[in-house]
Amino acid sequence: MKLGKTVTLASALALLVTGALAQDVAREDTVIFDLDRTIKDPENFNWMTPGTKRMHGAHQAMWEPLFILNYGTGELDPWLGTEITPNATNDEWVLKIRQGVEWSDGEAFDADDVVFTVGMAISNEDISSREASTVRAQVASVEKVDPMTVKFTLTAPNPRFAVENFGVRIFGSFLIMPQHIWEGQDPATFAFYPPIGTGPYTYTSGATNRMIWDRNDDWWGAKAGFQDLPEPKRLIWLESGGAESRAQLMATNQMDAAQNVSVGTFEAISFQNPKVIAWHNGYPYASADPCARQLEINTTVGPWDDPALRRAVNHIIDRNQIVNVAIEGATVPSETMFVQYGSMAPYIDAVKAAGHGLSPTADVAAGQALIEAAGYAMGDDGIYEKDGEDLAVKIHVNSASTEYTKTIDVIVEQLNRAGIKASSVPVENGVFWGEVLPFGAYEMSYSWLSCGSVNEPWASMGRYTVKDVVPVGERSPGFNNTARWADASAEAYSAIVDQMANKALGDPDVPGMVAEAYAHLADGMPFIPLVQSAKLLPLNTTYWEGWPTNDNYYNHPFFWWNSTHQMIHNLTKAN
Amino acid sequence: MTDAPLTRADRRLQRRMRRFDNPWLNPKLLWGIGLLLGIVALGLIGRMLWNLDLVFTGSATLKLPPVGFENLRRQPGVWDHPLGTDGSGRDMLALIVIGAPNSLFVGLMASLIGMGTGIVLGFTAGFVGGRTDDVIRVLSDVMITIPPLLILVVFQSAFGDVSLTMMALLIAGFVWQSPTRLIRAQVLSMRQSGYVQMAQLSGAPTHHIMFREMLPNLVPYLFGSFIANVTTSIVTAVGLEVLGLGPQRIPTLGRTIYEAINAGALIQNLWWWWGIPTILLAVMFIGLLLINLGLDEVSNPRLRRLS
Repeated sequence: MKLGKTVTLASALALLVTGALAQDVAREDTVIFDLDRTIKDPENFNWMTPGTKRMHGAHQAMWEPLFILNYGTGELDPWLGTEITPNATNDEWVLKIRQGVEWSDGEAFDADDVVFTVGMAISNEDISSREASTVRAQVASVEKVDPMTVKFTLTAPNPRFAVENFGVRIFGSFLIMPQHIWEGQDPATFAFYPPIGTGPYTYTSGATNRMIWDRNDDWWGAKAGFQDLPEPKRLIWLESGGAESRAQLMATNQMDAAQNVSVGTFEAISFQNPKVIAWHNGYPYASADPCARQLEINTTVGPWDDPALRRAVNHIIDRNQIVNVAIEGATVPSETMFVQYGSMAPYIDAVKAAGHGLSPTADVAAGQALIEAAGYAMGDDGIYEKDGEDLAVKIHVNSASTEYTKTIDVIVEQLNRAGIKASSVPVENGVFWGEVLPFGAYEMSYSWLSCGSVNEPWASMGRYTVKDVVPVGERSPGFNNTARWADASAEAYSAIVDQMANKALGDPDVPGMVAEAYAHLADGMPFIPLVQSAKLLPLNTTYWEGWPTNDNYYNHPFFWWNSTHQMIHNLTKAN
Repeated sequence: MTDAPLTRADRRLQRRMRRFDNPWLNPKLLWGIGLLLGIVALGLIGRMLWNLDLVFTGSATLKLPPVGFENLRRQPGVWDHPLGTDGSGRDMLALIVIGAPNSLFVGLMASLIGMGTGIVLGFTAGFVGGRTDDVIRVLSDVMITIPPLLILVVFQSAFGDVSLTMMALLIAGFVWQSPTRLIRAQVLSMRQSGYVQMAQLSGAPTHHIMFREMLPNLVPYLFGSFIANVTTSIVTAVGLEVLGLGPQRIPTLGRTIYEAINAGALIQNLWWWWGIPTILLAVMFIGLLLINLGLDEVSNPRLRRLS
């Protein structure tokens, strides 16, 4: 499949280059970003429904967020919003909107658009994107105070409301849509084509493997003095189709920013093209991604509905080997479910002090003892069996990246050697996120669904509470608790996490509560944290400079996130 | 007369004539068989001499080159892994010791099943005739128009992880049509020959005539067709493997190439990762081609005189 993609890519690229020339935008005025997936429906821009509707440039170039969380400072950088403040009890929030913002068709962007879009999300059960589901769960009502002010009344106190919904904490944020276009449409089916936004780029053309955006020289931000017009005249998101073609495109200057590659591939690219850089100057080059990797377990499917067996798998997994073989040493083993940022240290330390830290090495004997205690006996073929049936598991993995498939290959190997007949089931990206994970159509799968916390523990822990459990075959709300963990330990865990929900950031009780809740999580083990995620993104300085790096840290380098607006404004032409 | 010295031309002629006394001993056939046996021997001897546990992910340092070479990180090859290691720390020698016979196995097995089906259906259609013939003929004519790789890609994707045997069975489903048609045509012409009619007149049962009287006359044809089928089956199997649709955990040459391409082996200059399996596949196909040419000479005496 990858080989086929490489061939189609070459022809697509040829077409693209011809097209670009025809429209008279020079290569040195164009930034080409890598897209690691196929755009299933390039003429659908309804981001509130599942599918690739945003990361092909829509939320990096066209739709702007209200705020952007700055990973360097920990502050919310204002964008379309200027400030958002809670009342004393954290259950009412007031948002101030920037003056002078316009949609690309000239209509003004104001409180009506915000009230309309949030209202649409909270009154419509059919729209299912994670951000829309979160807003629906948190907001009781929304009202316009004046044309530039909106008040949100929440269903429960939430000190993290702004960063969770409007701050691009992880990947996206709740995007405001133009009322004058969406009004009267059914948000579950409206395609929003051609799309408009407030960003400095407008949609030019799209296909399943690419999306092209051209600069709008009449952008409001330049007129209102918010930011200068960005330098690139054209932005392209192009599906590269795998590590090999991605590397070739970077080495030959046909791409400016590529998705994750292995350390070896990056070294080979920079050997051929010294203009290609990454986050760090030296080994391991990569930046830390906030979504630590994990093995998600469907707790409703036997024999893995037995928590003892899930804990056995946890013992058998050798995290060091995953780091060394699958990630080529570019990351570290996870110690808990949390991302290992300095801001998370108090919670990680509390969990470790309570004895629930994860081991970087395997303890196969402990794992096998748990399996044998569950009534299994080792068969002649080295696989455990009970009542004539092998202890087997199929692990679903998204085939979009070798990082994912290699990690699962290592785990499959470890489990087989310990006596569990594991096999991997690679599935296409759209199927994985659209059909396998949310509907519980798996036994185990590779994911990062406990992702969320970067400076407090609740965002991650809150994703595995019992209130989000739905039966297999129904869509998990916002990909929360796709493990469908609902036994007694889950109940006890959820009770503590719910109490934590309205504690303020930095409350001294929280680390203790985290450790207490984590005891139940370690007992129930609905997912097994594996390793921290490292992203090695090759960035090309041949045509463009000003990429985010550790030495030029205005924000993280994840150019498929809604925060890419900052990056585009920082890019300058190379001499 | 016998004492008279032979000229060089005479000797050459004599050698040639002697060589062709037995058509089964022609050099193309022998070389072809030799190459394939070499791969089988690699599998058998390698299994005895080499540590096969090295075939598992993470058994060795990643991306080591073969002995005598250096990789991009300037690490030299070591004798512990004479052919180097791949990007997941698997020993290349162990990979080919297990993988090469696996690829051959899929080809042979798919072809055997396909041929077996083809023989039974071809004879039945040609000999029994009537409605049976119509059904078999239409079925094989329809099946022959379906591009196998397309269907197999869908099948394999639906099955997820498949075993080697399962893959052989799936491929066998697409290699029975040609032998069926070939044998049917031969049987139709043979049906009219004297010995068949004699057998019929003497009341021999149908299966006896088909398999005891007629089949032996078709042996060279069947061999030729079998070898062509093995080639097709291996090409199909490797095609699926290179697309990443073969068995997941069982090493095959195609899967090794798939993993190499997928992990960026070309740009990292890890030539041994994709090069060694490619060479082995080339050896396998050259062997099969030589056998096919050799068998042609066995079944077609004119080719022998020409050579």
